[in-house]
Amino acid sequence: MLRAGRLARAVRAVALVVPAGCRDPGAGGPAPGDGRPRVVATTTMVADLVRQVGGERIVVECLMPPGIDPHSYKATPRDADRLLRADLVVASGLHLEGRLTGLLERLADRVPFLAVADRLPAERLLEADGGLPDPHVWFDAALWSEAAAPVAAALADIDPEAAAAYRTAAEAYAARLRELDATLRQRIASIPAERRVLVTAHDAFRYFGRAYGIEVVGVQGTNTTSEAGLGDINRLVELVVSRKIPAVFVETSVADRNVQALVEGAAARGHRLGLGGRLYSDSLGGPGSNGESLAQALETNAAGIVNALAPEPEAASP
Amino acid sequence: MTAATGMPLVAAAGPIGGLSYNTLVVLAGVATVGFAAGVAGTLALLRRRPLVGDAAAHATLLGVGAAFLLTGRRDLPTLLAGALVAAVAALVVLVFLRRIVRTRDDAATAIVIGVSFGAGLALLAGITARGLPGGAGLEQFLLGHTAALTAQDALLLAAASCATVTLVAVAFKELVLVAFDAPFAAAIGRPVGLIDTALVALVAVMVVVGLPAAGAVLVTALVVIPPVAARQWTTRAGRMLLLAGLFGLAAAVAGVLASTLRPGLATGPLVVLAAAAICFVSFAVAPERGWIWRRSRLRGGEASP
Repeated sequence: MLRAGRLARAVRAVALVVPAGCRDPGAGGPAPGDGRPRVVATTTMVADLVRQVGGERIVVECLMPPGIDPHSYKATPRDADRLLRADLVVASGLHLEGRLTGLLERLADRVPFLAVADRLPAERLLEADGGLPDPHVWFDAALWSEAAAPVAAALADIDPEAAAAYRTAAEAYAARLRELDATLRQRIASIPAERRVLVTAHDAFRYFGRAYGIEVVGVQGTNTTSEAGLGDINRLVELVVSRKIPAVFVETSVADRNVQALVEGAAARGHRLGLGGRLYSDSLGGPGSNGESLAQALETNAAGIVNALAPEPEAASP
Repeated sequence: MTAATGMPLVAAAGPIGGLSYNTLVVLAGVATVGFAAGVAGTLALLRRRPLVGDAAAHATLLGVGAAFLLTGRRDLPTLLAGALVAAVAALVVLVFLRRIVRTRDDAATAIVIGVSFGAGLALLAGITARGLPGGAGLEQFLLGHTAALTAQDALLLAAASCATVTLVAVAFKELVLVAFDAPFAAAIGRPVGLIDTALVALVAVMVVVGLPAAGAVLVTALVVIPPVAARQWTTRAGRMLLLAGLFGLAAAVAGVLASTLRPGLATGPLVVLAAAAICFVSFAVAPERGWIWRRSRLRGGEASP
């Protein structure tokens, strides 16, 4: 709360310094002056989308570094400054950037602003625990492909001369994502139907599960800070053993003690439960990783899931 | 399948009495902690220092964070060793404030709780924010991770608990004497300082051992509530120790079993709630000191001539 108050003051202070006249299209304050439009994206997934559509014509900055949890990211006064000086701000939306929501709302009056998930067809959104839409839309490649056109339109608004180029790039990228969508569905389908269960620590993979036909079970539900009870552990052990699920997946941002208890509980009933690879969830990887772009991250995730779940468990242990 | 490595200690154990493996492991760990915490807490209560445990408990987070930073490890023995060092350090500071700076007892306790807990939270927040590998999960010590105890964890807790209870049994007379009447104990030549230190150390150990079971915030409840409940039923120190242990054990069993009833019930808090329920029942129905007893006696007193 204190932080939000400080931010609000910082935003107001910056707003006073930057006169409204400077906000003309193309004149983004003292930008690294090569004349290209500067776009600030909030999350790594959104930054990737904007890069795919804008290509070399624009400069994309990402507010959140790789590996940061967008739900809990708090903006610094410097971030507010970066956002205000942008020619266009692109956010993910649907309250993914929980602690930035207030700042982004105030910003929308002063800077061209787009929240990509808000432009997706509402009937294709899933509901999260509290009845609000689930923001993790990028895990469904086909759904995410529909976010390309709004980005192209927003870029065309600030850079009308290249409007056609943006539209073409967006169409090409959307086509690539639809292709990837088909590939991913095929890959996941290669896992025996009974074992097509993704047990993860945090509940971010519902869109992935719906799109590619894999059941998704979270150890702790959406809230990573609450304590799991014995009832939760027992239920998961039962599920893992009865369906002979070979592996569960860990995320670095979430404690693995619960997973350890699962492994032991399953072992006591004669079922060997392994650990699947690390999945990209709410952030892409850094430069040079195997999840630098969303397409790469989705492919890496799918490969990891297939690797861990597809082989017969008997074949895995000699 | 049985030949697989890394199997738990009781791999062969199937469900006993319809309870799952995880339930049994947690039961074994938490029940022994509940018993020993009740016993150690009774001594602290008799010594009129029930909040010693609270001061130690709030310092443990700092120890957990520091142990992780210094060793880079996050196994339970390492983290609990760090917690123990921090708990003892907090108690030393407490004694310093009380004796040397001559701060009021409750003020000194409040200072130690506030400063050590604040420092612990700041350290854990720093570790989390920097995204150090394996740093996630340290904050679980704030609220405990009862349901996720492994067989090794439970064994560690049970061993420490048994050691505590054994020590109390061996030094029972001396501990109780000092707890009840330290000046008298000193007058008849008992090493009061040493015994007092042992008493406080026992509480610190139980708080640290209770950490995985209830977390830094709730573990005090395990040390304070069962002795208070036991005090309602008896005035004899030996019976009170035993009764507090049994209440702690009963609360642990009730809480753990209750949390298996359905998903979404956090185990640690349920144990504390069960202990509180025992305490309230004791307040109400205990003979002599209980509310109902006193009321009925009051009425009886009015009626008799």
